[in-house]
Amino acid sequence: MPFAIGTWLACAAFFSFLIAGPANPFLTIANPPPDGPGPNPLLQNHLLMIIHPPMLYLGYVGMTIPFGFACAALLRGRLGHSFLRPLRASLLLPWIFLTVAIMLGGWWAYEVLGWGGYWAWDPVENASLLPWLTATAALHSAIVLERRGVLKGWTVTLVQATFLLTILGTFMTRSGVFNSVHSFTQSSIGPTILAFLAAALLFSVVLLALRIDSLESDGRIESAASREGMFLVNNLLFLILTFTVLIGTVFPLVAEAINGKQMSVGRPYFDAMVVPIGTALLFLIGVGPALPWGRGTREEILRATLPPLATGVVVAAIGYAVGVRNGWTIVTLLFGGYAAHVTLKEMWLPVARSGTSALRRGRRRFGSYVVHAGAVVVLIAIAVSSTTRTSREVRFSRGDSASIGAYTVTFLGAEDRAEPHRQSTIARFAVTKNGRAVTTLAPRMNQYATMREPIGTPDVHSTLAGDLYLSILNVDVAQQRVALHLIVTPMVMWIWIAALVMGLGGLLALIPVRRTSVILTQSAAKGKDLEMADSFGMTS
Amino acid sequence: MNRPVLFIGTAIAAALIAVLFVGLGNDPQQIRSPMIGRPAPAFALKEVGTGQTLDLQALRDTPTIINFWATWCMPCYQEHPVLIDNARLFGSKVQFVGVVFNDDEASIQKFLRERGSAFPTLLDQQGKTAIAYGVGGVPETFFLDRQGIIVAKFSGPMTTDVLQANLEKAIR
Repeated sequence: MPFAIGTWLACAAFFSFLIAGPANPFLTIANPPPDGPGPNPLLQNHLLMIIHPPMLYLGYVGMTIPFGFACAALLRGRLGHSFLRPLRASLLLPWIFLTVAIMLGGWWAYEVLGWGGYWAWDPVENASLLPWLTATAALHSAIVLERRGVLKGWTVTLVQATFLLTILGTFMTRSGVFNSVHSFTQSSIGPTILAFLAAALLFSVVLLALRIDSLESDGRIESAASREGMFLVNNLLFLILTFTVLIGTVFPLVAEAINGKQMSVGRPYFDAMVVPIGTALLFLIGVGPALPWGRGTREEILRATLPPLATGVVVAAIGYAVGVRNGWTIVTLLFGGYAAHVTLKEMWLPVARSGTSALRRGRRRFGSYVVHAGAVVVLIAIAVSSTTRTSREVRFSRGDSASIGAYTVTFLGAEDRAEPHRQSTIARFAVTKNGRAVTTLAPRMNQYATMREPIGTPDVHSTLAGDLYLSILNVDVAQQRVALHLIVTPMVMWIWIAALVMGLGGLLALIPVRRTSVILTQSAAKGKDLEMADSFGMTS
Repeated sequence: MNRPVLFIGTAIAAALIAVLFVGLGNDPQQIRSPMIGRPAPAFALKEVGTGQTLDLQALRDTPTIINFWATWCMPCYQEHPVLIDNARLFGSKVQFVGVVFNDDEASIQKFLRERGSAFPTLLDQQGKTAIAYGVGGVPETFFLDRQGIIVAKFSGPMTTDVLQANLEKAIR
């Protein structure tokens, strides 16, 4: 414990120094204007902006705690169960914050930025995703460590990488080096954070090199076609994904350093690289839990892995029947159906065997499958929403109508509204679906006193089936004309719901189970139901 | 000591830190304009107040600063004193020109009356000159050398430091 406390205090000392010196928020400015510019207008107009930043902050800062435990394990040369439990719990809590924060950021971008998407592979978006990927990998490798006593060095490496990526993310956001929608402010703390990142990297690498061999494995992985084998593949995929996103994010800096040309790595690179890896991970969400621990017989493996395939085929066929034609989306539906079958079966089996008390005893395990269920829905919703959306741009005069999908939109008129901090032009649209009135939408253009260009605020009609999204391109109140971007995107709301379910599942896995229940669980684990204890929460 | 871990870890860490360190000096918000290095598009616009036409051709042989602005642009209010101070400081050595677009003459005259004027302000009635210069928003400032070549461009309100750093390229 002294080593862990020492690590936390070293981090706390740096950030205290940062706020006392280079980033002192209490310094007075030389020529204060009579009225300051206020926050960036994009940050002023949505409730989610109050929740997203503190959640992300808790996710980032929270990763310091498992980092301290990982460093302590290396310094002690031991990583037993007494250390593994707090390490896993302290990793899971910030992971929950980070999961929900990333979703909230996407939701905010969707509701505010006006282009109808929720993820743009922006450097700072990527900065939040990178530690999430390595933390997710670490949570999985910790399960193998607990069950098989292997991957000790690997697990602490992933935990260290997670912390270092949060510092890299802080640098990306605050240095002004990356061109991002998050470049809301300019500050001079980039070099100081870079120095800390360099020091933390050096410390971690040297510590790992010196001590990793002291963390000896207590067992070994017997077969690739086993649950632990799939965990290992899962870890490799998460690692490849992390490097893919990291390289895509820093590549513009490399290109500019080498040939002096400004460039950006956009969606084509990330989509081409990330979609296949994400699909493979979805496959593992299904196949991994279906396989037995250790070495299973050929019959066992086939009996466990073949039946869910039928569900996958049915889900893919339903997708095809309702109009999905993108190859990757069909594959996502196939693997998603497969994974959903396995996940629901694993959630249901203990209840079928021993009633609802199994949920209380096996809360860790149940919670982890709730996370898997959420992840399956998120991945399917991302695939469907990004490949089946339809959009059109239409010019309206007052009274004109236009149709998109099942919706018909009629322009009712535009008006100006003056507020103390901005001038808004609001266009109102009546929306009908299959001839029935459903809502009125009012997208607007805002001119803030402190901004060079006007900023649009879209308006969205959300349903479980899909969203109708209206965003103004141009509006003329005098002529009562408007140019409008109309977008219909299926399943978007499922991303927000399922990501919340993932957070909830994480919380279920985190809540400690009473000791008497643990004893019952462990005695059950000795028998047939070995997998009762596996999941990524804590049991103490 | 596990040497592979040390070497691979150090290599990844060193590469990452080196790339980030090199990037520290860059401002990705300042996208280089394709206009830089090219002759400034010609224009002849009416001066606000006097009504006289000012032709850019007539300013050859003097380093010139062309500042695009508008009275509805709040950052332009912030920038205006910087332009006036520097125009007075450099006197006849540097020619300052303001080009106002998407605006009306009465508002411009009111603005200049209240906040002062130290150089000609031209009215780009239909915004043709702003389009020719590829202006994306206001304020935006172009720095021309003695031969009328655009040597620098700055988007957003300038401070004196920014103005003088860019002007240096035009005077050289």
